[in-house]
Amino acid sequence: MAAPRGRLEVRGLTKRFSPQVTVGPLSFEVQEGEFFSLLGPSGCGKTTTLRCIGGFESLTEGSIALDGRRLHDRPPHKRDVGLVFQNYALFPHLTVFDNIAFGLRLRKVDRADIERRVAQMLELVDLPQVAGRYPAQLSGGQQQRVAIARSLVLEPSLLLFDEPLSNLDFKLRIQMRYELRDLQRRLGTTAVYVTHDQTEALALSDRIAVLSQGRIEQIGPPGEIYERPASAFVADFIGSSNLVAARVGRAGEDGHTAVETEEGLALAIPRIGDAAGTAVTLLLRPERFQMATGHDGEASAVNRFAARVRDVTYLGEDLHLRVLARDRQPLLVAIKNSKGTRAIAPGTTIDLSIDPEDIHVLRR
Amino acid sequence: MEGTGRSSSWALFVGPYGVYLLVFLVLPFANVALLSVYHHSPTKIAVAGFTAANYTRLFELYYATLFLRTVRLSLIVTAVCAILGYPLAYLLARSTSRIVTLGLFLLIVPLMVSTVIRVFGWVVILGSEGLVNQALRLLGAEEGVRLLYTEGAVILGLAQQSMPFMVLPLLAAIERISPSLEEAAQNLGASWSQMFARVIVPLSMPGLVSGSLLVFSVSMSAFITPALMGGRRVRMVGQQIYEEVLTAYDWPGAASLTIVLAVLMLGLVGLTLRTTRRRARLESARP
Amino acid sequence: MRGGAPRFLWVLAIAVYVLLLAPLVVVIAVSFGATATFDFPPKGLSLRWYQAFFASPMFVRSFFRVSQVIGLWTALVATIAGTLAAIGLVRFRFPGRQAIETFFLSPLLVPHILLGAAVYLYLARLAWPTSSLTLLVGHIAIATPYVIRCVTAGLVGMDPRLEEAAMSLGASRVQAFFRVTLPLLRSSLVTGAVFAFIISFSDINLALFLAGANAPSLPVHIFSQIQFEADPSIAAASALQIVIVGGLILLVQRLFRLRLIV
Repeated sequence: MAAPRGRLEVRGLTKRFSPQVTVGPLSFEVQEGEFFSLLGPSGCGKTTTLRCIGGFESLTEGSIALDGRRLHDRPPHKRDVGLVFQNYALFPHLTVFDNIAFGLRLRKVDRADIERRVAQMLELVDLPQVAGRYPAQLSGGQQQRVAIARSLVLEPSLLLFDEPLSNLDFKLRIQMRYELRDLQRRLGTTAVYVTHDQTEALALSDRIAVLSQGRIEQIGPPGEIYERPASAFVADFIGSSNLVAARVGRAGEDGHTAVETEEGLALAIPRIGDAAGTAVTLLLRPERFQMATGHDGEASAVNRFAARVRDVTYLGEDLHLRVLARDRQPLLVAIKNSKGTRAIAPGTTIDLSIDPEDIHVLRR
Repeated sequence: MEGTGRSSSWALFVGPYGVYLLVFLVLPFANVALLSVYHHSPTKIAVAGFTAANYTRLFELYYATLFLRTVRLSLIVTAVCAILGYPLAYLLARSTSRIVTLGLFLLIVPLMVSTVIRVFGWVVILGSEGLVNQALRLLGAEEGVRLLYTEGAVILGLAQQSMPFMVLPLLAAIERISPSLEEAAQNLGASWSQMFARVIVPLSMPGLVSGSLLVFSVSMSAFITPALMGGRRVRMVGQQIYEEVLTAYDWPGAASLTIVLAVLMLGLVGLTLRTTRRRARLESARP
Repeated sequence: MRGGAPRFLWVLAIAVYVLLLAPLVVVIAVSFGATATFDFPPKGLSLRWYQAFFASPMFVRSFFRVSQVIGLWTALVATIAGTLAAIGLVRFRFPGRQAIETFFLSPLLVPHILLGAAVYLYLARLAWPTSSLTLLVGHIAIATPYVIRCVTAGLVGMDPRLEEAAMSLGASRVQAFFRVTLPLLRSSLVTGAVFAFIISFSDINLALFLAGANAPSLPVHIFSQIQFEADPSIAAASALQIVIVGGLILLVQRLFRLRLIV
């Protein structure tokens, strides 16, 4: 059932709603079998882009090609692209079986084949019993799986997902995430996935395109997006972060460059070429700080400072601390809850350190 | 909405109109039912006593033909309104609110204007000295075409009259269908007309049913339109009732016709309520 | 490329509107004609038929003394009765409420010709001669359901806690009703009253049976004129009715979602 096809090329895709509201130009490629996410806040243009690929919005400019063939001037019912809707869009007047068979019937597949393929699909999404039921009788998670089955049974070259999990409650969402990923890997169908949930994008994707205000900020695998965000927007949108304004200082002998934050905290970062005095933004991920216990080795001498805790948020697994480093620099710190952290309370002072490699520099 | 009133004062509110309807709706129809079994007499109009003659005569050729014609024309009008009204309802349902407001306005005004005026307009258009014939004469035709006093004219007039009754329920039903269902169908390979037939029509069926019921009953009981546009050649039950009450003074006869028509209307209403309720139950079942 | 509705649907829709509006447009156009024939487009424009309308005692009487008067009285009585009924149906609980609501709305489903014949025969049995009063009686019966629907929609859309808030501030139930509920229902009441007027003003089927022999309503008079003596003053009378009805509906459309009523 694997689809050895599904290469998507988007070039200069532009959709102009009004002189002030434009999405694009956007360009990106999705490889065969890749799971590609469009990630961004509401209004960034990710859904518009998806709908352009699906054929429900027309392009003002640009082109979309699937496996080398032009897609953007074909009507939506003639594209070999499956679309899974946010609200599932299951036909309420048809049974689960008839919903899944809908596309097959339009293509005049014969009865025996339809029955076989629908049954196969229901097995695949783990819903063998529900063929005779109506959508209103299913739970949200089940409806979601039927919606996916309905698109997959047509063996499209490309699958589009429009925030399919956002209507499910939290635990179900996590569970469905794994199932979705497994399914896509097993079938090898190229997937373009729209979401505003960055955890979801990180968990599911081979590559992520981060969008903001109609433009692509960065494209890359999850690790790259998270560890080396290209802009402050991406850094801020993915994960939590401390974005701190700083100035470049002198280059040190040990392969580090000194920087100093506007609030006066001195740190060492891996050597960069910028001249002293250049203004930069530092990205420090809260979970990268380490609690230095008093008698640690010299390894933590670099970037080690005292910080006074201003408040503690208890999250079960983690503790989020708002601290003032060296009584000057406000920072958000995330540490794992353990025996050693029991004593931390507002007012206490702790020793923190951060590896220079964990400080990311964003040019302003 | 919770009941906030004391349990007995509801009668003060509901009473006036309730009593009014009892006196001016229920009693008149009870009287009609009674009249329908009286003897008809040319001198005394109606004589008390039980007879089924007024009903049995309805099986005679004249009346049977009358009813069949009325039903046939009403069915044709219903079909015409359904075919013409569906696209209109769909377009209005998927249009911006400004267009919908205008569209509704243009739909409701003809409905609210008196029937005589609408029919007068048709007479001017279709009459032997009317617009169509004038245009034909300009184009060189010698003889005019008789357009009035034909079944076609009556169907045209009734279709114009009943169209809003079809479009409004359909509009309400189609609006309830999420556009994402249309998109899903097209994404699965359906062209627009396939999508319309397989998704819109089945899901708006309750609207079609209530619209059809309304159009059918309006046509079945129509009087002014067939009287002025069909005349003697195209007679419908409404004209017969009018004549028997006000001209022929055959009141028991008119009463029997009235009862038959009223029972038919009641039956249709009951039927549609049942079918729409069954469907609604199926599509919103909870697990 | 969007999968929208095919072009020809729009053509069909326009054609349907032409069908719906053609008679009205023609009538208005003819009413401005200068000749005694029904020409479209009219040969020359003039107001002579409007003058003829106002000069004809029968037309003027049927319009102003009969139709308009009965229409206004219908609006008044139907609004009061209908508002009371709607309040009773929405704000109270009592056995058989659903059935009574259906009963109250039944005149909407009863064909007017049947109702007209039935009431006429009933009045004959009571030896009560037809007159403007009997016509009024009939109109109240058919117009009130429209008011009930409007006011019901308005009540249902209103937060019942507003009345409770008023009462918590010291208003009695009656005061709360008059100071809070009624003003909020204003648009429903106006809409209902307007519809009641229009229903009465436009009615022909009831009027043929129930109007007084010497006091025909405007539609009845037009009906007899069409059959016996057609000259474009009928068009003028009709055009006036169209404009009045159209204007009233335009007014109401700003106040209310029309679809809930018709």
